Amino acid sequence: MTRLAPTALLITGALALAGCGGSGSSGDDRPELAVSASYMPQPITDEMAAGFFTVANKGDAKDELTSVTSDAADSVTMHETVGQSMREVKALDVPAHGQLVFKSGGNHLMFEKLKRQLKQGATVTVELHFAKSGPIKVEMPVKSATYNPATGH
Amino acid sequence: MRKKTFAAAALLAAASLTLSACGSGDSGDSPVAVVSEDTSQKAATLLDTPFEKPDLVLTDTQGKKYDFRKETAGRPTLIYFGYTHCPDICPTTMSNIAVAKKQLPKAEQDKLQVVFVTTDPARDTPTELGKWLKGIDPKFVGLTGGFSTVQAGARTLGISIEPTHKDKKTGKTVSVHGTQVIAFSPKTNGGYVLYGEDATVDDYTKDLPKIIKGQNP
Repeated sequence: MTRLAPTALLITGALALAGCGGSGSSGDDRPELAVSASYMPQPITDEMAAGFFTVANKGDAKDELTSVTSDAADSVTMHETVGQSMREVKALDVPAHGQLVFKSGGNHLMFEKLKRQLKQGATVTVELHFAKSGPIKVEMPVKSATYNPATGH
Repeated sequence: MRKKTFAAAALLAAASLTLSACGSGDSGDSPVAVVSEDTSQKAATLLDTPFEKPDLVLTDTQGKKYDFRKETAGRPTLIYFGYTHCPDICPTTMSNIAVAKKQLPKAEQDKLQVVFVTTDPARDTPTELGKWLKGIDPKFVGLTGGFSTVQAGARTLGISIEPTHKDKKTGKTVSVHGTQVIAFSPKTNGGYVLYGEDATVDDYTKDLPKIIKGQNP
């Protein structure tokens, strides 16, 4: 059951509270985000790496992922796959009661000019920034170069 | 069927997490990721009419001339068209093949030719290609050369690629990779099996011993 092990997920306190509706004063029309299933396949060189994860939104309002930063690379950009090529995008929607999925062959993060060698077993800290919600920090584990989330190995 | 049961269990687990979570976040895989994988389908597509080998004469990672037809004649061969500035599909495809290849007996590993042809020759010089492939499998052959030669060769295999270009909106460089790996038989030299980009290590591990012998996977 290794695949169900927690995927090093961190969420800001503010968001966690909002998720519980603790204050309750601002109504229901807000996104409630949680990140799961994050991983980076072990990169081939220090030039480039990919990153994958899922942002689930249990809230009644949509949000937008607007940027991603990381201590592990000079640049992190978001890409969508269009046919056989990938296109950088400025933002991606996280629909209300839906999710934004980054997975191999689809949306992916592109890390460029890695600051250190990232081997399987390492962890990369990534911060996701949203249009409405506060930033979410994700501890993204580095998996094998051939890691397949469907089989967990 | 085991896998399916397991996937269903994972799906249930994810669903119940969704119900019970109160801002604490899910820790399981997303349901979408689980159900989108159909493990029962075969990765290999057998071609009724095999492809002839493309007439590709290019430059290898040593900077030497490499004639694809001549070098791979009578050898089990896999070919893929991609580029090294590719974070997702290209390294995954090549790594999947590399890991599967390592599970073959040594003699069979030596027979198998794996050829990576760059679709981005301007950036993928022999040196760059060599550096990248060394991180995957140093025995893999990396080829670069004129884009029109690569494009024409790919086209004979039903693979359509475009030159690297700047995206009009973002000004970023966009390269294009092929979507398929093609396996050539050592017996007929025909390209008789196709793999899509969702072929896994397990698929290649299962099929390579047959491809080495020119049998149908």
